Amino acid sequence: MNAYELIVNILTALGAYEPVLNIFKAHGAEYVLKVIIVFVEIVVLMAFVLVTVMFLTWMERKVVAMVQVRYGPMVTGPRGLLQPVMDGIKLMGKEDIIPEKADKWLFTLAPFIVFIPAILVFVPIPFGDYLIISDLRVGLLYIIAISAISPVAILLAGWASNNKYSLLGAMRAVAQDISYTIPLALAAIAVVLFTGSLSTVDIVNAQSGTWFGIIPKWFIFLQPLGFILFLIASIAEMGRIPFDFQESESELVAGFFIEYSGMKFAMFFLAEYAHLFAVSAIVVTLFLGGWNGPIPSFLPAFAVPLVSLVYFLIKTYAVIFFAMWLRDTVPRVRIDQLLNLGWKIMVPLALLNLLVTGFLVTILANGVI
Amino acid sequence: METDELIINLGPVHPSTHGVLRFKLRMDGEIIKDCRIVLGYLHRGTEKLGEMKTYLQFVPYTDRLDYISAMPNNYAYVKAVEELAGIEVPLRAEYIRVLAMELNRIVNHIVSIGSLLLDLGATTMIMWGFRERENALQLFEMLCGARMTFNYIKPGGVREDIPDGFIPKLNEFIDDMEKRIVDYEQLINDNEIFLMRMKKIGVISAEDAVNYGMTGPALRGSGVNYDIRKYEPYSIYPDIDFRVCVRSEGDSYARYMVRIDEMKESLHILRQVVDTMPKAEVVSSPKYGIAPMTGTASTVMTYFPRIFTPPQGEVYSRIEAPKGELGFYIVSDGTTKPYRVKIRSPSFCNLTAIPEMVKGLKIPDLIAAFGTIDVVLGDVDR
Amino acid sequence: MSGIIKGLIVTMKHVLHIGNRPTVTIQYPYERMKLSPRFRGLHAVDENACIGCGICEVNCPNGTITIVKYGTRWFPQFNIGMCMFCGLCVDVCPMNAIKMTGNYELADYTRESLIYTPERLLFSKEVKQ
Repeated sequence: MNAYELIVNILTALGAYEPVLNIFKAHGAEYVLKVIIVFVEIVVLMAFVLVTVMFLTWMERKVVAMVQVRYGPMVTGPRGLLQPVMDGIKLMGKEDIIPEKADKWLFTLAPFIVFIPAILVFVPIPFGDYLIISDLRVGLLYIIAISAISPVAILLAGWASNNKYSLLGAMRAVAQDISYTIPLALAAIAVVLFTGSLSTVDIVNAQSGTWFGIIPKWFIFLQPLGFILFLIASIAEMGRIPFDFQESESELVAGFFIEYSGMKFAMFFLAEYAHLFAVSAIVVTLFLGGWNGPIPSFLPAFAVPLVSLVYFLIKTYAVIFFAMWLRDTVPRVRIDQLLNLGWKIMVPLALLNLLVTGFLVTILANGVI
Repeated sequence: METDELIINLGPVHPSTHGVLRFKLRMDGEIIKDCRIVLGYLHRGTEKLGEMKTYLQFVPYTDRLDYISAMPNNYAYVKAVEELAGIEVPLRAEYIRVLAMELNRIVNHIVSIGSLLLDLGATTMIMWGFRERENALQLFEMLCGARMTFNYIKPGGVREDIPDGFIPKLNEFIDDMEKRIVDYEQLINDNEIFLMRMKKIGVISAEDAVNYGMTGPALRGSGVNYDIRKYEPYSIYPDIDFRVCVRSEGDSYARYMVRIDEMKESLHILRQVVDTMPKAEVVSSPKYGIAPMTGTASTVMTYFPRIFTPPQGEVYSRIEAPKGELGFYIVSDGTTKPYRVKIRSPSFCNLTAIPEMVKGLKIPDLIAAFGTIDVVLGDVDR
Repeated sequence: MSGIIKGLIVTMKHVLHIGNRPTVTIQYPYERMKLSPRFRGLHAVDENACIGCGICEVNCPNGTITIVKYGTRWFPQFNIGMCMFCGLCVDVCPMNAIKMTGNYELADYTRESLIYTPERLLFSKEVKQ
């Protein structure tokens, strides 16, 4: 069941689906209705992601402010909630500068290539029961593949800017992304060994229920090492503070987006937070039980997706809060130390984790114990 | 592998150069082959100004040298003038001066550590630091009416006596600060990433450090037990019990730890100064330090004539400023203005050791090492 | 890891305001800090005490002060754009006529408006009968 069917069901329940379908059938164009429904899904997803991203920028500031005994934005709107809107308006009003010596086509293209995958990642993420755009059978592979596009775009941005700092920043970002995608994927594969499916819905379903009635059947309890590896690797993938080499403002001023201004800068900025949200959602999906939670049985059927969405968002925001909290506590590591950590510690540990998991799964499957 | 050399200009407008300093780096990939420091972007001709202004008028300009810790700058200049003219200073004034200077040392080290952590990417420490700094600045404001550029210490004493309610507030600050330092240490000291960035980075041996003329916490981090407060005691430091904080490693972490230790020592000194400070006698008529018409003196200010002509001669006087040895060399030709003023500023001398420290390291290490040297560009370029 | 965890605990204490770690921000235009009485802000000149002797003009390091004729008498005029608020003019005034007020919001749009003529500086103490 995905969101398309959910919409169809809702329309049917309202008694609106059949007549509308008949109208289209009369003209021999049922596919138009399908396209319209998919389009609605995409618009809802986009709106949801953009609003979340705006909220995240506000939340980031508030969390930083709370740690640093400040208030953060307070003036625009209640507790400064409208600050992201104002920022957006300000960025739209900024002059769009393209450097003289930049490669203009690539320079303009790069922000879009960063931004679009950041939205595309959400396609196979189950936000709740039924709340998934498309339950791909290779969902996890899709996610990893899509997020592997962003280093290319970053390299484009760094190269096209024709600036030493941005090139250095881009090189670092690419090196970092590549070396951390491997432990990330390896840690994710260990989960797949349990479920036997790459589909995100299957992974979430495998985590429903409890052991002994208390401990939820989340993979974090089966895969504690895998969880830690995945979390560290995903923070590195996001490029947040212990590992924010793409920016590292004290060394590279602003890294690969040093030359960008106005809306193009905003695209990078939005993509960064969309990425944060996406990665946290993936962490929740893989290790924290996805949208699973105690759903009371007396609830009507239509409320179940909403309740599961709430569980999902609570867990996701907990992970996001942790990322922000960590950001305010630790300094940045050095690029070579980061790569050392990635290749010398994370990759072997991930492989070890995979090996142990494989053994366990084989033993369990063959009923040796 | 054969690689082209890349020349990178770090600065002059760069977030982590603490002002307008420019590093010209010859890079081999990410490795620094050679580092050259280009100075002078904040040159304001302070030494020349010293020749154009009278002895009294120049004091506010010394505030602008090292604006993070202006009080020792005031004092260093004033001490030179007092030695030149042989002015006696009331004991209470000396106590107030030491109190103000040690308070300023804490402020300086807070800012230094905070901006170091900011350079490393941790934004929290500087905000916590500025919370305490704000309290200290309010104390300064009570004391002299200004928050950063004090013009408080004057030849012959200090500008005004301690106001009512200052000592309780100071005690509050000291108690508060002791707890806050614990917080700082918990946040930073054992943080693995911080250790990774600081240990064995920017190492300079004791011999090299002395040869480069480094002083202050940067030198003591290399294991040289040199503190002018002990080595050539001035003011009331001989009567005060304090420890010189020394670390032997010579790396960035040692320099950072020396600063943390010195903050604790400064709190210790502050407590002693508050306890042993001589009582103010009835403050006689003049409201402000300089007795206007009469020759009377208050308890914190000896008589200092408005038209002040010291005898001919020259003097070099130095103190232990928070950043290192701050010296003023004054040549007097017997007129109302000095013939020559030379400032030996700690930031400048410490900065010269940077190329030696960072050879073979990476840009992030340069930033870290530079942060532990703790320079203020107003003090470097003068 | 233990060091990072220690740091995380300390930052969490600040988030939750455990143990005297309150939020300290002052929302500036809406609330203001209390200034100490000695704060060195914009000058004010006592109309009755000032004798227009020009000692402040001589002693000012930056040449901020010029003595100008105002009405029938001579008073100092301050060019705040050049002033560094060192307070030397206050110290040297033989009549204690200059004082510094707590006014620190002195930013303005033109250089001309930074010149404070005696008209804008003078005050007269109320003499008790």
